[in-house]
Amino acid sequence: MKRFIAALLCLAMIIGCLTACSSEEKKDETTTTAGDTAKTDDSASAGTVTTPAPDEKKVINLWSFTDEIPKMVDRYKELNPSFDYEIKTTIIATTDGAYQPALDAALAAGGDDAPDMYAAEAAFILKYSQGDAAGYAATYKDLGIDVDKMIADANISGYSVAIGTRPSDNNVVALGYQATGGCFIYRRSIAKDTWGTDDPKTVQDKIGGGSGSWDKFFEAAEELKAKGYAICSGDGDIWHAVENSSDKGWIVDGKLYIDPKREAFLDLSKKLKDNGYHHDTQDWQEGWFADMKKNGGVLGFFGPAWLINYTLGANCGEGDDSSFGDWAVCNSPIGFFWGGTWVLANKDTKAKNGVAELIKWITLDCSKTGLQYYWANGTLNGEGGTKDSVASGTVMDMSDGKLDFLGGQNMFDYFVPANAYANGKNLTQYDESINSLWRDAVRAYTGGTATREEAIANFKQTVKDSLGIE
Amino acid sequence: MDTNIKVFPRFQPFKVIIYIVCIFLAALSLFPFIIMIVNSTRSTPEIQGTAVSLIPSSYLARNYTILTSKDIFDPIRGFVNSIIISTGATLCSVYFSTLTAYAIVVYEWKARRGFFTFIMAIMMIPGVVVSIGFYKMVYAVGLANNFLPLIIPGIAAPAMVFFMRQYMIPALPLEIIQSARIDGAGEFYTFNKIALPIMKPAIATQGIMAFVGNWNNLFMPLILLTQKKMYTMPIMVSLLKGDIYKVEYGSVYLGLTLTVLPLFVVYFLLSKYIIAGIAVGSVKG
Amino acid sequence: MKRKRVSYAKYGYLFSLPFVVTFLVCTLYPIVYTGIIGFTNLKGSTMAFTDAKFLPSLGQGLWDNFVDTLKAPTFHTALLNTVKMWIINFIPQITLALILAAWFTNNQKKIKAQGFFKVVFYLPNIITAATIGILFANLFAYPKGPINDILLQLGFIDNPYDFSRSATASQLNVSFMQFWTWYGNTMIVLIAGILGINPEMYEAAEIDGANGNQQFFYITIPNLKTMLLYTLVTSLIGGMQMFDIPRVFQNGLPQNATLTATLYIYTQAFSGTYQYNKAAAASLVVFVIISIFSALLFVVLKDKDEAKLHKIIKQQEREYRKKVKLAKQQLLKEGR
Repeated sequence: MKRFIAALLCLAMIIGCLTACSSEEKKDETTTTAGDTAKTDDSASAGTVTTPAPDEKKVINLWSFTDEIPKMVDRYKELNPSFDYEIKTTIIATTDGAYQPALDAALAAGGDDAPDMYAAEAAFILKYSQGDAAGYAATYKDLGIDVDKMIADANISGYSVAIGTRPSDNNVVALGYQATGGCFIYRRSIAKDTWGTDDPKTVQDKIGGGSGSWDKFFEAAEELKAKGYAICSGDGDIWHAVENSSDKGWIVDGKLYIDPKREAFLDLSKKLKDNGYHHDTQDWQEGWFADMKKNGGVLGFFGPAWLINYTLGANCGEGDDSSFGDWAVCNSPIGFFWGGTWVLANKDTKAKNGVAELIKWITLDCSKTGLQYYWANGTLNGEGGTKDSVASGTVMDMSDGKLDFLGGQNMFDYFVPANAYANGKNLTQYDESINSLWRDAVRAYTGGTATREEAIANFKQTVKDSLGIE
Repeated sequence: MDTNIKVFPRFQPFKVIIYIVCIFLAALSLFPFIIMIVNSTRSTPEIQGTAVSLIPSSYLARNYTILTSKDIFDPIRGFVNSIIISTGATLCSVYFSTLTAYAIVVYEWKARRGFFTFIMAIMMIPGVVVSIGFYKMVYAVGLANNFLPLIIPGIAAPAMVFFMRQYMIPALPLEIIQSARIDGAGEFYTFNKIALPIMKPAIATQGIMAFVGNWNNLFMPLILLTQKKMYTMPIMVSLLKGDIYKVEYGSVYLGLTLTVLPLFVVYFLLSKYIIAGIAVGSVKG
Repeated sequence: MKRKRVSYAKYGYLFSLPFVVTFLVCTLYPIVYTGIIGFTNLKGSTMAFTDAKFLPSLGQGLWDNFVDTLKAPTFHTALLNTVKMWIINFIPQITLALILAAWFTNNQKKIKAQGFFKVVFYLPNIITAATIGILFANLFAYPKGPINDILLQLGFIDNPYDFSRSATASQLNVSFMQFWTWYGNTMIVLIAGILGINPEMYEAAEIDGANGNQQFFYITIPNLKTMLLYTLVTSLIGGMQMFDIPRVFQNGLPQNATLTATLYIYTQAFSGTYQYNKAAAASLVVFVIISIFSALLFVVLKDKDEAKLHKIIKQQEREYRKKVKLAKQQLLKEGR
């Protein structure tokens, strides 16, 4: 009986604890209101660049979905010992869609544990820079960053700025460090076998690179087919280019809108499959990876520089089976971008100066000690890291994108101009969900399980029912 | 002896069939573990090339280096955190479910039947429904990054109460309790010393299931525990997969293997109850 | 120790108290919360609960979210899929589990290494659904994958078959995964149930010359009824909430063929436009449907034990009170 009473007491304590905590919560709310008044003061002075007062706290809560940005920040602390902020890192994977609800809750809760600096991926950046959660973000100006001048100096890609600009006040609230403009990355040996040369200009001409149309691409596909090759691995490869070339996004005036160019993907995909121009693989699956090897028999893949580093490079095979060095880059028929990470600050942060310093270093510093220079040349953690295309055109001009993987070609020659084709105007914050449903509809149509009309009708119905967009 | 001789030839071919079926099912059950262990010795490109292979490769050490260098995967800490949560929640649910079932089976109280119907009803509530509100509540109360919200709810496990009740009705004769009372034992003492031991096989079975469920639980811990020092092993593995551009599958599989290992230990420890099948009925009489 | 009358009712309340309190805090409060959301306009990832308004105050019908949900063809598809995939998985699952449980508990057959088999059959349940989903997606990969390779080599097909594009194949796959993860679990539950049956009954039956099959049908099955009912009901409830395997395997694709009710709710609440209100309404609808199913099961398989139990307890208490009374009188007499 004694033990039972003890157990009951324990339970009572827990309940007591719960109620105690909820009264604390009320205290928290009052502090948030205090923060709100502080914010109104700030917005009064917005428009002019202010130098904020010294930070109230020396702790920065950093939220991210991978360890990429936390690692950059660690490196910054190593390089600048005078940067005396404590970084509290929270990493929540995007797996199971867990990152966004947690971030939203933390932003809404406010207080000392609220994120001071947070990262957003291309798939959901719009929600935090322009959409539902844009109100939480501090403008770069309010952080004391002379953002317009720095963007001009660093020559940041236009699409990165466009995506990071909040429409309600036309201020920059987010910027990325990568530039993810995409190119066509092709196999030299297959180009040589088909057209007698592996020169990027000729190949670009053959596939209609930069032409803004798929016509020449299909002519090239026919020529390749005659030689027993496929022009690409699956229809997913051209999807990013199609998606980004459309004039309007999935939602226009709050209603679902299928851009004619996106609708045409049905026909493009069907044409590729019916004529056997591709291997009918799905991106990120076995068959797709296998096509990257020496005997893959596929001319090329569409993608930004990170695709070379992370995907093609890792999956090109080993030994006799390897396609390493047999690759080159040329323009895609239609310009596009794919992926990227943007960095934002909380408007209520009490460590403004520290956050501003980090954000400046990551997104806008175009010197040789800025993050982007290290990132572009693969030297953030010493020589020999992977090179990547970065947002600052100034940095790109100073950097060397020669890769052995591309047979010594300087990839920046093509990736830098590609960033200009990229366009951030046709995105919506629901793209991730809608794209996957659209791709499925297209697969049903090309696979013959639905007619063109059925596929479109099913797509509309599902978007309406599960996403609430008509 | 006579009956044995008669029965023997009839049973032999039947037994062969039983063994064939069992061996086939065993192979089918072991298959994913073999793939998982083999893949934790293979490099990421190898796995992306052919995901299912029975031939081990030589990347185990390298996968482990990648796994731990990521600064996310700390096997010891993850193990300790997972153990605290899983053990705590399992003990809570097993003990209190048995207690609740005991209340329903042994005592006659006015609200008893209503209470049982009520438990049946709440069992049918889809978990997702609870998760939305629960997660908002935990954040509101300020109990995020605390193990308690992951352990305490174990006390109210309706499905387990239902199981315990179903098991208790035939297995716990009320006469035993009656005689204990006559011997002067207190009610709580009777439950702990007489009912609990009789319920051992049920407790072991449900304990394993609850432990496995808690150990593998990802969604709730993932949104409730955001500080690195609180991460459980599945959270660590999910973070390895979270980088959508570059997933190190070799180390992910190694992480999964390491996550499953403690489960094996617990499972095999408790499995003796299942195998030996402590005969409940023997207490009767 | 002077009690006027012995009543154990209070222990019933006392012992179920921890459950009730925890339930109120950790389950009921969140559910009421969810329930209320179902009648509001709460949507969008950042809208605070306190900012949500009840629909009538916005000029809409109180039940609009429910009506929308019930009318949505995608929701119908999701419900049908769930029932379909659950039935395809449950029938073979319970059959196999029952057969295995009977084999392993049969004293006459004495299966060797049965400890090993029991332990191993449960193993698929230990691995997370995520791992299983990925594994199966890889096994059935197209155009190049183990299953396709085998079928091609054996000459069953001339060209690789895209399983992920076929609605039937995808549903069968999900059912199979579900079956394969849970049959060991069900088997163990049933074994525990069989072991709970008084062995004297089997001993008596053996003496009477009943063979294995007779014992199975005349002793095991009738005495296993409570356990079978448990398995059926929990499996139904679990099945109606089928979520992680379909999510990881194909996330509802192709063409909503593997979309389950819970997955539908989850998609509404945690992606796209974050329609908490519609998700809440849909989950209440699912709750009602599951309740109806379970209630039907209880009526069909009428839980006679409950009534019996009621009688026994009453009777025992009466007897006990009598005994105590007698004992007291005895004591009083002796004291005198």
